[in-house]
Amino acid sequence: MIAGKDLRNIFMSPLFYVVAAVCSLVWWFLFIVRVNEFLQHSAMLAYQAAMSGGEQQGLPLHYYVVLSHLYAVNLVMIFAVSAITMRLFTEEKRNRTYDLLLTAPVTATEITVGKLIAGTLTAWALLGIALIYPLSLGFFADMDWGSFISSFLGIMLLTAGYVSIGMFASSLTQSLVVAVILAPILNIVLWFVGALAEGASHPTTRQIFEHLNVAIHLGNFMKGNVGISSTVFLLSVVFLFGFLTQRVVESSRWR
Amino acid sequence: MTTSTSAPTPMIEVRELSKAYGPHKAIDRISFSVKKGEVVGFLGPNGAGKTTTMKIITGFMPPTSGVAKVAGFDVFEDPIEVKKRIGYLPETPPVYGEMTVESYLKFVARLKGVEKSRVKTLVERAIERTELGNVRHRLIQNLSKGYRQRVGISQALVSEPDVLILDEPTVGLDPRQVAEVRTLIKELAGEHTVILSTHILPEVQATCERIIIINKGKIVAEDSLESLGRRMKSSVRVYLRVGELKDGLKEQLQAVPGVHSVTNKGESFEIDTDGSKDVAQQIAARVVSSGAGLLELREEAFNLEDVFLKLTTSEENQPGAAV
Repeated sequence: MIAGKDLRNIFMSPLFYVVAAVCSLVWWFLFIVRVNEFLQHSAMLAYQAAMSGGEQQGLPLHYYVVLSHLYAVNLVMIFAVSAITMRLFTEEKRNRTYDLLLTAPVTATEITVGKLIAGTLTAWALLGIALIYPLSLGFFADMDWGSFISSFLGIMLLTAGYVSIGMFASSLTQSLVVAVILAPILNIVLWFVGALAEGASHPTTRQIFEHLNVAIHLGNFMKGNVGISSTVFLLSVVFLFGFLTQRVVESSRWR
Repeated sequence: MTTSTSAPTPMIEVRELSKAYGPHKAIDRISFSVKKGEVVGFLGPNGAGKTTTMKIITGFMPPTSGVAKVAGFDVFEDPIEVKKRIGYLPETPPVYGEMTVESYLKFVARLKGVEKSRVKTLVERAIERTELGNVRHRLIQNLSKGYRQRVGISQALVSEPDVLILDEPTVGLDPRQVAEVRTLIKELAGEHTVILSTHILPEVQATCERIIIINKGKIVAEDSLESLGRRMKSSVRVYLRVGELKDGLKEQLQAVPGVHSVTNKGESFEIDTDGSKDVAQQIAARVVSSGAGLLELREEAFNLEDVFLKLTTSEENQPGAAV
Protein backbone atom coordinates (compact mmCIF):
# COMPACT_ATOMS: atom_id res chain seq x y z
CA MET A 1 0.00 0.00 0.00
CA ILE A 2 2.68 2.46 1.04
CA ALA A 3 4.86 0.97 -1.67
CA GLY A 4 2.14 1.63 -4.25
CA LYS A 5 1.67 5.22 -3.12
CA ASP A 6 5.41 5.88 -3.09
CA LEU A 7 5.92 4.28 -6.46
CA ARG A 8 3.20 6.39 -7.97
CA ASN A 9 4.59 9.54 -6.42
CA ILE A 10 8.08 8.75 -7.66
CA PHE A 11 6.89 8.14 -11.19
CA MET A 12 4.67 11.21 -11.10
CA SER A 13 7.55 13.48 -10.18
CA PRO A 14 9.83 14.98 -12.81
CA LEU A 15 12.84 14.08 -10.69
CA PHE A 16 12.73 10.45 -11.71
CA TYR A 17 12.70 11.30 -15.39
CA VAL A 18 15.55 13.75 -15.03
CA VAL A 19 17.60 11.12 -13.25
CA ALA A 20 16.67 8.51 -15.85
CA ALA A 21 17.58 10.86 -18.69
CA VAL A 22 20.94 11.74 -17.19
CA CYS A 23 21.69 8.07 -16.52
CA SER A 24 20.83 6.96 -20.01
CA LEU A 25 22.90 9.78 -21.47
CA VAL A 26 25.97 8.80 -19.47
CA TRP A 27 25.51 5.11 -20.18
CA TRP A 28 24.91 5.69 -23.87
CA PHE A 29 28.07 7.73 -24.19
CA LEU A 30 30.30 5.31 -22.29
CA PHE A 31 28.79 2.36 -24.09
CA ILE A 32 29.38 3.75 -27.58
CA VAL A 33 32.95 4.65 -26.70
CA ARG A 34 33.56 1.18 -25.42
CA VAL A 35 31.99 -0.55 -28.42
CA ASN A 36 34.11 1.57 -30.74
CA GLU A 37 37.25 0.68 -28.88
CA PHE A 38 36.26 -2.95 -29.03
CA LEU A 39 35.75 -2.77 -32.79
CA GLN A 40 39.12 -1.10 -33.34
CA HIS A 41 40.93 -3.62 -31.19
CA SER A 42 39.24 -6.60 -32.83
CA ALA A 43 40.01 -5.17 -36.27
CA MET A 44 43.63 -4.74 -35.24
CA LEU A 45 43.79 -8.28 -33.91
CA ALA A 46 42.19 -9.66 -37.08
CA TYR A 47 44.69 -7.73 -39.16
CA GLN A 48 47.63 -9.00 -37.14
CA ALA A 49 46.30 -12.55 -37.37
CA ALA A 50 45.94 -12.24 -41.13
CA MET A 51 49.46 -10.85 -41.47
CA SER A 52 51.10 -13.53 -39.39
CA GLY A 53 48.96 -16.22 -40.98
CA GLY A 54 47.97 -17.48 -37.56
CA GLU A 55 44.54 -18.39 -36.32
CA GLN A 56 42.17 -15.51 -35.57
CA GLN A 57 41.24 -15.03 -31.94
CA GLY A 58 38.24 -12.87 -31.05
CA LEU A 59 38.20 -10.66 -27.98
CA PRO A 60 35.77 -11.79 -25.32
CA LEU A 61 32.81 -9.49 -25.80
CA HIS A 62 31.43 -10.14 -22.33
CA TYR A 63 34.55 -8.98 -20.55
CA TYR A 64 35.41 -6.23 -22.90
CA VAL A 65 32.10 -4.44 -23.40
CA VAL A 66 29.40 -5.83 -21.17
CA LEU A 67 31.36 -5.83 -17.94
CA SER A 68 32.77 -2.39 -18.41
CA HIS A 69 29.25 -1.22 -19.13
CA LEU A 70 28.00 -2.81 -15.94
CA TYR A 71 30.76 -1.16 -13.93
CA ALA A 72 29.71 2.17 -15.38
CA VAL A 73 26.12 1.33 -14.47
CA ASN A 74 27.17 0.55 -10.93
CA LEU A 75 29.10 3.80 -10.60
CA VAL A 76 26.20 5.85 -11.86
CA MET A 77 23.73 3.99 -9.66
CA ILE A 78 25.66 4.95 -6.53
CA PHE A 79 24.52 8.52 -7.19
CA ALA A 80 21.32 7.97 -9.13
CA VAL A 81 19.81 5.77 -6.43
CA SER A 82 20.65 8.37 -3.80
CA ALA A 83 18.75 10.96 -5.80
CA ILE A 84 15.70 8.72 -5.80
CA THR A 85 15.84 7.54 -2.22
CA MET A 86 16.53 10.95 -0.72
CA ARG A 87 12.83 11.78 -0.90
CA LEU A 88 11.53 8.58 0.67
CA PHE A 89 11.49 9.89 4.22
CA THR A 90 12.65 13.52 4.07
CA GLU A 91 9.76 14.46 1.81
CA GLU A 92 7.28 12.92 4.24
CA LYS A 93 8.80 14.88 7.08
CA ARG A 94 8.83 18.15 5.16
CA ASN A 95 5.25 17.72 3.98
CA ARG A 96 4.13 16.74 7.46
CA THR A 97 2.69 13.59 5.95
CA TYR A 98 5.00 11.70 8.27
CA ASP A 99 2.44 12.59 10.95
CA LEU A 100 -0.15 10.76 8.90
CA LEU A 101 1.97 7.64 8.56
CA LEU A 102 2.90 7.60 12.23
CA THR A 103 -0.68 8.08 13.39
CA ALA A 104 -2.03 5.42 11.02
CA PRO A 105 -2.45 1.85 12.22
CA VAL A 106 0.68 0.58 10.49
CA THR A 107 3.88 -0.62 12.08
CA ALA A 108 7.31 0.85 11.54
CA THR A 109 8.24 -2.33 9.71
CA GLU A 110 5.37 -1.94 7.25
CA ILE A 111 6.40 1.65 6.53
CA THR A 112 10.03 0.66 6.01
CA VAL A 113 9.33 -2.37 3.84
CA GLY A 114 6.87 -0.39 1.73
CA LYS A 115 9.43 2.27 1.06
CA LEU A 116 12.17 -0.26 0.41
CA ILE A 117 10.02 -2.01 -2.18
CA ALA A 118 9.08 1.24 -3.89
CA GLY A 119 12.69 2.41 -3.96
CA THR A 120 14.02 -0.90 -5.22
CA LEU A 121 11.45 -1.19 -7.99
CA THR A 122 12.29 2.33 -9.13
CA ALA A 123 16.00 1.59 -9.10
CA TRP A 124 15.36 -1.58 -11.09
CA ALA A 125 13.39 0.46 -13.60
CA LEU A 126 16.56 2.50 -14.07
CA LEU A 127 18.49 -0.73 -14.48
CA GLY A 128 15.99 -1.65 -17.15
CA ILE A 129 17.22 1.34 -19.10
CA ALA A 130 20.79 0.23 -18.58
CA LEU A 131 19.81 -3.20 -19.87
CA ILE A 132 18.86 -1.84 -23.29
CA TYR A 133 22.45 -1.23 -24.35
CA PRO A 134 23.94 -4.70 -23.91
CA LEU A 135 20.70 -6.27 -25.15
CA SER A 136 20.93 -4.31 -28.37
CA LEU A 137 24.35 -5.83 -28.80
CA GLY A 138 22.76 -9.26 -28.70
CA PHE A 139 21.24 -8.68 -32.12
CA PHE A 140 24.63 -8.42 -33.78
CA ALA A 141 27.03 -10.47 -31.74
CA ASP A 142 27.37 -13.70 -29.86
CA MET A 143 26.70 -12.96 -26.24
CA ASP A 144 27.72 -14.94 -23.23
CA TRP A 145 24.14 -14.92 -21.97
CA GLY A 146 24.79 -16.93 -18.82
CA SER A 147 27.44 -14.58 -17.51
CA PHE A 148 25.41 -11.64 -18.64
CA ILE A 149 22.35 -12.67 -16.65
CA SER A 150 24.33 -13.48 -13.55
CA SER A 151 26.18 -10.15 -13.74
CA PHE A 152 22.92 -8.37 -14.05
CA LEU A 153 21.49 -10.23 -11.11
CA GLY A 154 24.48 -9.10 -9.07
CA ILE A 155 23.92 -5.49 -10.04
CA MET A 156 20.25 -5.79 -9.15
CA LEU A 157 21.06 -7.06 -5.67
CA LEU A 158 23.71 -4.43 -5.14
CA THR A 159 21.31 -1.72 -6.26
CA ALA A 160 18.76 -2.92 -3.73
CA GLY A 161 21.55 -2.45 -1.19
CA TYR A 162 22.08 1.12 -2.36
CA VAL A 163 18.35 1.75 -2.01
CA SER A 164 18.41 0.42 1.52
CA ILE A 165 21.36 2.63 2.40
CA GLY A 166 19.79 5.65 0.73
CA MET A 167 16.54 5.06 2.58
CA PHE A 168 18.42 4.87 5.86
CA ALA A 169 20.19 8.16 5.08
CA SER A 170 16.85 9.75 4.28
CA SER A 171 15.26 8.52 7.49
CA LEU A 172 17.92 10.29 9.52
CA THR A 173 17.33 13.81 8.34
CA GLN A 174 14.77 16.38 7.31
CA SER A 175 16.99 17.87 4.66
CA LEU A 176 17.10 16.56 1.10
CA VAL A 177 20.61 17.89 0.70
CA VAL A 178 21.94 15.99 3.69
CA ALA A 179 20.19 12.83 2.49
CA VAL A 180 21.52 13.08 -1.03
CA ILE A 181 25.08 13.64 0.19
CA LEU A 182 25.05 11.11 2.99
CA ALA A 183 23.74 8.26 0.83
CA PRO A 184 26.56 8.11 -1.74
CA ILE A 185 29.10 8.54 1.04
CA LEU A 186 27.71 5.47 2.77
CA ASN A 187 27.60 3.64 -0.57
CA ILE A 188 31.23 4.42 -1.24
CA VAL A 189 32.20 3.46 2.30
CA LEU A 190 30.57 0.12 1.56
CA TRP A 191 33.00 -0.30 -1.32
CA PHE A 192 36.01 0.63 0.75
CA VAL A 193 35.32 -1.56 3.76
CA GLY A 194 36.83 -4.42 1.78
CA ALA A 195 39.97 -2.42 1.13
CA LEU A 196 40.72 -2.48 4.86
CA ALA A 197 41.88 -6.05 4.29
CA GLU A 198 45.14 -4.64 2.91
CA GLY A 199 45.95 -3.05 6.23
CA ALA A 200 44.86 -5.92 8.44
CA SER A 201 47.76 -7.86 9.89
CA HIS A 202 45.98 -10.71 11.59
CA PRO A 203 44.84 -13.40 9.14
CA THR A 204 41.39 -13.68 10.70
CA THR A 205 40.67 -9.95 10.54
CA ARG A 206 42.01 -10.04 7.03
CA GLN A 207 39.57 -12.78 6.14
CA ILE A 208 36.67 -10.89 7.68
CA PHE A 209 37.41 -7.77 5.71
CA GLU A 210 37.89 -9.77 2.56
CA HIS A 211 34.48 -11.22 3.04
CA LEU A 212 33.09 -7.70 3.36
CA ASN A 213 34.60 -6.76 0.02
CA VAL A 214 31.78 -5.76 -2.31
CA ALA A 215 34.10 -5.89 -5.30
CA ILE A 216 34.86 -9.57 -4.73
CA HIS A 217 31.21 -10.51 -4.35
CA LEU A 218 30.09 -8.50 -7.33
CA GLY A 219 33.07 -9.95 -9.22
CA ASN A 220 31.71 -13.44 -8.55
CA PHE A 221 28.45 -12.52 -10.19
CA MET A 222 30.29 -10.89 -13.07
CA LYS A 223 32.28 -14.02 -13.71
CA GLY A 224 29.06 -15.93 -13.96
CA ASN A 225 29.05 -17.84 -10.70
CA VAL A 226 26.07 -17.06 -8.54
CA GLY A 227 27.34 -18.19 -5.16
CA ILE A 228 25.34 -18.48 -1.97
CA SER A 229 27.88 -16.49 0.01
CA SER A 230 27.84 -13.56 -2.40
CA THR A 231 24.06 -13.56 -2.65
CA VAL A 232 23.74 -13.68 1.10
CA PHE A 233 26.26 -10.90 1.49
CA LEU A 234 24.43 -8.54 -0.85
CA LEU A 235 21.06 -9.41 0.65
CA SER A 236 22.39 -8.82 4.14
CA VAL A 237 23.38 -5.28 3.13
CA VAL A 238 19.75 -4.72 2.17
CA PHE A 239 18.52 -6.21 5.43
CA LEU A 240 21.02 -4.43 7.65
CA PHE A 241 20.10 -0.95 6.46
CA GLY A 242 16.45 -1.87 6.22
CA PHE A 243 16.61 -2.91 9.86
CA LEU A 244 18.42 0.27 10.85
CA THR A 245 15.76 2.35 9.10
CA GLN A 246 13.03 0.43 10.86
CA ARG A 247 14.69 1.27 14.18
CA VAL A 248 14.87 4.95 13.28
CA VAL A 249 11.16 5.00 12.36
CA GLU A 250 10.24 3.06 15.47
CA SER A 251 12.32 5.37 17.64
CA SER A 252 9.98 8.29 16.98
CA ARG A 253 7.47 6.40 19.12
CA TRP A 254 9.54 6.52 22.24
CA ARG A 255 12.10 9.22 21.67
CA MET B 1 -15.58 0.26 13.32
CA THR B 2 -17.45 0.12 16.59
CA THR B 3 -15.97 -0.78 19.90
CA SER B 4 -17.42 -3.22 22.31
CA THR B 5 -16.45 -1.19 25.33
CA SER B 6 -19.18 -0.80 27.91
CA ALA B 7 -20.82 2.57 28.33
CA PRO B 8 -19.20 3.83 31.51
CA THR B 9 -15.65 3.57 30.14
CA PRO B 10 -14.67 6.96 28.84
CA MET B 11 -13.65 7.12 25.18
CA ILE B 12 -10.56 9.10 25.98
CA GLU B 13 -8.91 8.98 29.33
CA VAL B 14 -5.85 10.97 30.23
CA ARG B 15 -4.21 10.64 33.62
CA GLU B 16 -1.32 12.63 35.02
CA LEU B 17 0.10 13.16 31.58
CA SER B 18 3.38 15.06 31.35
CA LYS B 19 5.68 15.85 28.50
CA ALA B 20 8.98 17.58 29.00
CA TYR B 21 11.34 18.85 26.34
CA GLY B 22 14.50 19.00 28.37
CA PRO B 23 13.82 21.27 31.33
CA HIS B 24 10.81 22.85 29.64
CA LYS B 25 7.54 21.21 30.56
CA ALA B 26 5.15 21.37 27.63
CA ILE B 27 2.38 19.79 29.64
CA ASP B 28 2.39 19.12 33.32
CA ARG B 29 0.30 16.34 34.88
CA ILE B 30 -2.84 16.81 32.87
CA SER B 31 -5.86 14.65 33.63
CA PHE B 32 -9.23 14.60 31.93
CA SER B 33 -11.62 12.22 30.29
CA VAL B 34 -14.05 12.44 27.43
CA LYS B 35 -17.24 10.42 27.10
CA LYS B 36 -18.33 8.75 23.91
CA GLY B 37 -20.05 11.13 21.55
CA GLU B 38 -18.92 14.26 23.34
CA VAL B 39 -17.41 17.27 21.63
CA VAL B 40 -14.72 18.81 23.76
CA GLY B 41 -12.94 22.04 23.02
CA PHE B 42 -9.35 22.43 23.95
CA LEU B 43 -8.78 26.06 24.54
CA GLY B 44 -5.64 27.92 25.31
CA PRO B 45 -3.23 30.53 24.08
CA ASN B 46 -0.57 29.52 21.57
CA GLY B 47 2.07 27.33 23.12
CA ALA B 48 -0.13 26.20 25.99
CA GLY B 49 0.37 22.50 25.22
CA LYS B 50 -2.76 21.75 23.20
CA THR B 51 -0.91 20.25 20.26
CA THR B 52 1.42 18.27 22.48
CA THR B 53 -1.50 16.70 24.33
CA MET B 54 -3.18 15.81 21.06
CA LYS B 55 -0.04 14.32 19.61
CA ILE B 56 0.32 12.08 22.61
CA ILE B 57 -3.28 10.88 22.38
CA THR B 58 -2.78 10.01 18.72
CA GLY B 59 0.31 7.99 19.55
CA PHE B 60 2.50 10.28 17.48
CA MET B 61 4.79 11.00 20.39
CA PRO B 62 5.22 9.34 23.76
CA PRO B 63 4.53 11.08 27.06
CA THR B 64 7.33 11.62 29.56
CA SER B 65 5.05 10.19 32.19
CA GLY B 66 1.39 9.41 32.71
CA VAL B 67 -1.21 7.39 30.86
CA ALA B 68 -3.43 8.11 27.89
CA LYS B 69 -6.12 5.65 26.86
CA VAL B 70 -8.42 5.61 23.87
CA ALA B 71 -11.40 3.24 24.00
CA GLY B 72 -9.63 1.45 26.83
CA PHE B 73 -6.42 0.85 24.88
CA ASP B 74 -3.23 2.36 26.20
CA VAL B 75 -1.69 4.65 23.63
CA PHE B 76 1.79 3.44 24.36
CA GLU B 77 1.08 -0.27 24.79
CA ASP B 78 -1.43 -0.81 21.97
CA PRO B 79 -0.65 1.95 19.50
CA ILE B 80 -2.09 0.08 16.52
CA GLU B 81 -5.46 -0.47 18.21
CA VAL B 82 -5.58 3.17 19.23
CA LYS B 83 -4.58 4.44 15.81
CA LYS B 84 -7.31 2.38 14.16
CA ARG B 85 -9.88 4.36 16.11
CA ILE B 86 -8.50 7.83 15.61
CA GLY B 87 -8.80 10.35 12.84
CA TYR B 88 -6.25 13.08 13.30
CA LEU B 89 -5.90 16.44 11.66
CA PRO B 90 -2.53 17.94 12.57
CA GLU B 91 -1.81 21.67 12.48
CA THR B 92 -0.58 21.37 8.91
CA PRO B 93 -2.80 19.13 6.80
CA PRO B 94 -0.76 16.02 5.96
CA VAL B 95 -1.37 15.96 2.22
CA TYR B 96 0.68 14.75 -0.72
CA GLY B 97 0.79 17.60 -3.22
CA GLU B 98 1.35 15.31 -6.18
CA MET B 99 -1.80 13.28 -5.59
CA THR B 100 -5.34 14.14 -6.55
CA VAL B 101 -7.88 14.67 -3.79
CA GLU B 102 -9.68 11.44 -4.56
CA SER B 103 -6.63 9.21 -4.83
CA TYR B 104 -5.23 10.74 -1.67
CA LEU B 105 -8.39 9.97 0.28
CA LYS B 106 -8.41 6.43 -1.09
CA PHE B 107 -4.83 6.01 0.06
CA VAL B 108 -5.61 7.30 3.54
CA ALA B 109 -8.63 5.03 3.80
CA ARG B 110 -6.51 2.01 2.91
CA LEU B 111 -3.77 3.18 5.26
CA LYS B 112 -6.30 3.36 8.07
CA GLY B 113 -7.22 -0.25 7.46
CA VAL B 114 -10.56 0.17 5.69
CA GLU B 115 -11.43 -2.95 3.67
CA LYS B 116 -11.12 -2.55 -0.06
CA SER B 117 -14.82 -3.02 -0.69
CA ARG B 118 -15.79 -0.13 1.56
CA VAL B 119 -13.14 2.35 0.44
CA LYS B 120 -15.19 3.78 -2.40
CA THR B 121 -18.29 4.42 -0.31
CA LEU B 122 -16.35 6.01 2.51
CA VAL B 123 -14.32 8.24 0.21
CA GLU B 124 -17.53 9.38 -1.47
CA ARG B 125 -19.07 10.20 1.85
CA ALA B 126 -16.02 12.10 3.08
CA ILE B 127 -15.89 14.11 -0.15
CA GLU B 128 -19.56 14.91 0.17
CA ARG B 129 -19.33 15.92 3.82
CA THR B 130 -16.47 18.32 3.24
CA GLU B 131 -17.84 19.49 -0.12
CA LEU B 132 -14.78 18.61 -2.13
CA GLY B 133 -16.74 17.28 -5.09
CA ASN B 134 -15.68 19.95 -7.55
CA VAL B 135 -11.95 19.56 -6.85
CA ARG B 136 -11.80 15.79 -6.47
CA HIS B 137 -9.68 15.25 -9.59
CA ARG B 138 -7.29 18.13 -8.99
CA LEU B 139 -3.79 17.81 -7.63
CA ILE B 140 -3.66 18.86 -4.01
CA GLN B 141 -0.62 21.06 -4.61
CA ASN B 142 -2.77 23.29 -6.84
CA LEU B 143 -5.47 23.80 -4.24
CA SER B 144 -5.86 26.86 -2.06
CA LYS B 145 -5.10 26.76 1.64
CA GLY B 146 -8.77 26.56 2.54
CA TYR B 147 -9.33 23.59 0.27
CA ARG B 148 -6.23 21.86 1.60
CA GLN B 149 -7.52 22.32 5.10
CA ARG B 150 -10.77 20.72 4.03
CA VAL B 151 -8.88 17.84 2.46
CA GLY B 152 -7.18 17.52 5.84
CA ILE B 153 -10.52 17.32 7.63
CA SER B 154 -11.81 14.92 5.01
CA GLN B 155 -8.77 12.75 5.58
CA ALA B 156 -9.46 12.58 9.31
CA LEU B 157 -13.08 11.59 8.66
CA VAL B 158 -12.59 9.13 5.86
CA SER B 159 -12.15 5.98 7.92
CA GLU B 160 -15.14 6.89 10.12
CA PRO B 161 -13.10 6.67 13.31
CA ASP B 162 -14.64 6.67 16.77
CA VAL B 163 -12.45 9.54 17.86
CA LEU B 164 -11.63 12.66 15.91
CA ILE B 165 -8.76 14.82 16.99
CA LEU B 166 -8.72 18.11 15.18
CA ASP B 167 -5.90 20.56 15.77
CA GLU B 168 -7.22 24.01 14.87
CA PRO B 169 -9.61 22.75 12.21
CA THR B 170 -10.78 26.12 10.92
CA VAL B 171 -7.42 27.80 10.39
CA GLY B 172 -7.11 29.24 6.90
CA LEU B 173 -10.77 28.95 6.00
CA ASP B 174 -12.93 31.85 4.92
CA PRO B 175 -15.86 32.82 7.17
CA ARG B 176 -18.40 30.82 5.20
CA GLN B 177 -16.25 27.70 5.30
CA VAL B 178 -15.60 28.23 9.00
CA ALA B 179 -19.33 28.18 9.58
CA GLU B 180 -19.64 25.02 7.47
CA VAL B 181 -16.91 23.22 9.33
CA ARG B 182 -18.50 24.14 12.63
CA THR B 183 -21.82 22.76 11.46
CA LEU B 184 -20.03 19.63 10.32
CA ILE B 185 -18.39 19.18 13.71
CA LYS B 186 -21.74 19.59 15.42
CA GLU B 187 -23.19 16.92 13.14
CA LEU B 188 -20.37 14.59 14.06
CA ALA B 189 -21.19 14.82 17.74
CA GLY B 190 -22.97 11.77 19.03
CA GLU B 191 -21.57 9.18 16.64
CA HIS B 192 -18.01 10.41 16.98
CA THR B 193 -16.10 11.66 19.95
CA VAL B 194 -14.38 14.88 19.01
CA ILE B 195 -11.57 16.83 20.58
CA LEU B 196 -10.74 20.05 18.86
CA SER B 197 -8.21 22.62 19.80
CA THR B 198 -8.37 26.27 19.10
CA HIS B 199 -7.40 29.63 20.41
CA ILE B 200 -10.47 31.20 18.89
CA LEU B 201 -13.25 31.50 21.44
CA PRO B 202 -16.36 31.74 19.29
CA GLU B 203 -15.35 28.44 17.79
CA VAL B 204 -15.73 26.69 21.10
CA GLN B 205 -18.92 28.54 21.83
CA ALA B 206 -20.31 27.43 18.51
CA THR B 207 -19.33 23.78 18.54
CA CYS B 208 -18.44 22.34 21.91
CA GLU B 209 -20.43 20.95 24.79
CA ARG B 210 -17.57 21.11 27.17
CA ILE B 211 -14.37 23.07 27.24
CA ILE B 212 -11.02 22.44 28.77
CA ILE B 213 -8.95 25.54 29.17
CA ILE B 214 -5.28 24.89 29.26
CA ASN B 215 -2.50 27.31 29.95
CA LYS B 216 1.24 26.78 30.33
CA GLY B 217 0.83 23.02 30.32
CA LYS B 218 -1.82 22.94 33.03
CA ILE B 219 -5.58 22.65 32.97
CA VAL B 220 -6.93 25.85 34.46
CA ALA B 221 -10.62 25.13 33.97
CA GLU B 222 -12.75 22.27 32.80
CA ASP B 223 -16.49 22.59 32.63
CA SER B 224 -19.53 22.70 30.43
CA LEU B 225 -20.10 25.86 28.51
CA GLU B 226 -23.13 26.93 30.55
CA SER B 227 -21.67 26.46 33.96
CA LEU B 228 -18.51 28.30 33.05
CA GLY B 229 -20.67 31.13 31.86
CA ARG B 230 -22.80 30.94 34.99
CA ARG B 231 -19.74 31.01 37.14
CA MET B 232 -18.68 34.19 35.50
CA LYS B 233 -22.14 35.75 35.68
CA SER B 234 -21.48 36.22 39.35
CA SER B 235 -19.34 39.12 38.34
CA VAL B 236 -20.87 42.00 36.46
CA ARG B 237 -19.08 45.04 35.24
CA VAL B 238 -20.81 48.40 35.36
CA TYR B 239 -19.83 51.22 33.05
CA LEU B 240 -20.59 54.67 34.34
CA ARG B 241 -20.17 58.16 32.94
CA VAL B 242 -20.86 61.30 34.95
CA GLY B 243 -21.20 64.96 34.03
CA GLU B 244 -18.57 66.32 36.35
CA LEU B 245 -16.06 64.63 38.56
CA LYS B 246 -16.78 65.27 42.23
CA ASP B 247 -14.22 64.73 44.97
CA GLY B 248 -14.85 61.61 46.98
CA LEU B 249 -17.21 60.08 44.43
CA LYS B 250 -14.82 57.19 43.83
CA GLU B 251 -14.64 56.45 47.53
CA GLN B 252 -18.41 56.66 47.84
CA LEU B 253 -18.86 54.20 45.01
CA GLN B 254 -16.31 51.91 46.56
CA ALA B 255 -18.39 51.85 49.71
CA VAL B 256 -21.49 50.51 47.90
CA PRO B 257 -22.12 46.93 49.08
CA GLY B 258 -21.26 44.43 46.36
CA VAL B 259 -18.65 46.55 44.60
CA HIS B 260 -15.25 44.92 44.18
CA SER B 261 -13.23 47.64 42.60
CA VAL B 262 -13.59 51.01 40.96
CA THR B 263 -11.31 52.45 38.33
CA ASN B 264 -11.84 55.74 36.56
CA LYS B 265 -10.50 57.70 33.67
CA GLY B 266 -11.74 61.24 34.02
CA GLU B 267 -15.52 61.07 34.04
CA SER B 268 -15.74 57.41 32.99
CA PHE B 269 -15.81 54.70 35.61
CA GLU B 270 -15.44 50.96 35.37
CA ILE B 271 -16.87 49.18 38.37
CA ASP B 272 -16.50 45.48 39.01
CA THR B 273 -19.37 44.16 41.09
CA ASP B 274 -20.52 40.84 42.44
CA GLY B 275 -23.63 40.99 40.29
CA SER B 276 -26.12 41.27 43.12
CA LYS B 277 -29.45 42.68 42.02
CA ASP B 278 -29.60 46.20 43.26
CA VAL B 279 -25.95 47.14 43.02
CA ALA B 280 -26.42 49.15 39.84
CA GLN B 281 -29.41 50.92 41.36
CA GLN B 282 -27.41 51.87 44.39
CA ILE B 283 -24.57 53.15 42.28
CA ALA B 284 -27.03 55.31 40.37
CA ALA B 285 -28.51 56.63 43.60
CA ARG B 286 -25.05 57.55 44.92
CA VAL B 287 -24.13 59.37 41.78
CA VAL B 288 -27.35 61.33 41.72
CA SER B 289 -27.14 62.26 45.40
CA SER B 290 -23.56 63.44 44.99
CA GLY B 291 -24.76 65.84 42.31
CA ALA B 292 -22.22 64.63 39.78
CA GLY B 293 -24.82 64.22 37.04
CA LEU B 294 -25.50 60.75 35.73
CA LEU B 295 -24.97 60.56 31.96
CA GLU B 296 -24.62 56.87 31.28
CA LEU B 297 -24.87 53.64 33.19
CA ARG B 298 -24.83 50.15 31.76
CA GLU B 299 -24.22 46.63 32.96
CA GLU B 300 -22.20 44.10 31.10
CA ALA B 301 -21.90 40.41 31.95
CA PHE B 302 -18.56 38.76 31.38
CA ASN B 303 -18.47 36.70 28.23
CA LEU B 304 -16.32 33.71 27.44
CA GLU B 305 -13.61 36.00 26.19
CA ASP B 306 -13.28 37.49 29.65
CA VAL B 307 -13.39 34.09 31.28
CA PHE B 308 -10.59 32.98 29.06
CA LEU B 309 -8.45 36.04 29.61
CA LYS B 310 -9.07 35.92 33.32
CA LEU B 311 -8.14 32.27 33.57
CA THR B 312 -5.08 32.42 31.38
CA THR B 313 -3.63 35.65 32.68
CA SER B 314 -4.47 35.47 36.36
CA GLU B 315 -1.93 32.76 36.96
CA GLU B 316 1.04 35.09 37.23
CA ASN B 317 -0.70 37.31 39.78
CA GLN B 318 -2.31 34.66 41.96
CA PRO B 319 -1.02 31.19 41.24
CA GLY B 320 -3.52 28.39 41.61
CA ALA B 321 -6.36 30.74 42.37
CA ALA B 322 -7.96 30.38 39.00
CA VAL B 323 -9.67 27.03 39.44
